[in-house]
Amino acid sequence: MRACCVFVGGLYEQRIDVTVVKFQLEAWSAIAGEVNTEGDWHRWLANPLLPEEPVAKAVLKKAPAMLRRRFGVLGKSVMGAVLPIIEDGEAVPGVFASRHGDLKLTLSLLKDIGLDQPLSPTGFGLAVHNAVAGLLSIARRDTSEVTAISASEGLVLQALFEAIGQLQVSEKVLCVIYDAPVPEPYSNYVAGDPFPYAIAVILSRTNDDAQGYRLIPRSADALSNSALPEQFATEPLRFIELLAGNTTAMESELNGVSWRIEKDTDV
Amino acid sequence: MSELHVELKQMIIDVLDLEDIEIDEIIDDEPLFVEGLGLDSIDALEIGLALQKNYDIQLKSDSEETKEHFSSINSLVELVKTHREK
Repeated sequence: MRACCVFVGGLYEQRIDVTVVKFQLEAWSAIAGEVNTEGDWHRWLANPLLPEEPVAKAVLKKAPAMLRRRFGVLGKSVMGAVLPIIEDGEAVPGVFASRHGDLKLTLSLLKDIGLDQPLSPTGFGLAVHNAVAGLLSIARRDTSEVTAISASEGLVLQALFEAIGQLQVSEKVLCVIYDAPVPEPYSNYVAGDPFPYAIAVILSRTNDDAQGYRLIPRSADALSNSALPEQFATEPLRFIELLAGNTTAMESELNGVSWRIEKDTDV
Repeated sequence: MSELHVELKQMIIDVLDLEDIEIDEIIDDEPLFVEGLGLDSIDALEIGLALQKNYDIQLKSDSEETKEHFSSINSLVELVKTHREK
């Protein structure tokens, strides 16, 4: 057997026939409607019900008023998740991951096309997949590079892979994962998320104080100790469960390979 | 403030999602873009589309004339009035 190794964020790890990817997680924050702080999430995880919408207004105060009107529920959620963990004026490259983006808006534009109506320029501009990243960069006056990704499976895993890859060239990377429920008629064909949410994490190359995490593929010793009820046991919500410390590991599937995302307790 | 002034201000508030802004806060002779109300280029396109839909007015996006029409509420009122008289 050949030993594989991956160089990630300055760390080598070698195991026979297993590629382990390591990363340091400096901070996290997540928002779903009024569920916002770490305490909110602990309470929610203990009693998971549909969160009250809309997103708390206070988290949006930092954005200029004339810009705020362009933020839909997804944009507001992303702002609400990102702002608490990033300093004003701090320049950090970002990975923005969403399977569907603002599908409700896209659908309304498609309906206008179908009716031969002219498209709203604002709606068109906000329906592109990197729209939320763009709004955030304007609001924060941060011109760092952004990457917008979409993934039909393993969204959290793929977002983390992209962000970890970018640690090769950046000291820190902001990684944001967000989605909203799929509107009709798409909801007849695809299981979406139960409610709008956004998760923001900051990955770091060298911060030794940060919590270490590992990504391990083909984990035969897969364990799933999620306490979330089935309708909420989506990959992103199980990631929040892991971040909040309610679990120590979670599973994610990608291209037929099962990966385990776990806290690195050796450090 | 004429009826048309109110109508155009309401149109701008509606199509641009200016939730926090009241009709009285839009001043008739103040600039709409950059200064004054502080609208941007996407807003200009959106207003152009609304004028087309509501008043059947076609504007060229890059002409000096269009810039004039968009300079304030007063000039937009003039534009709609002139178009109606045609």
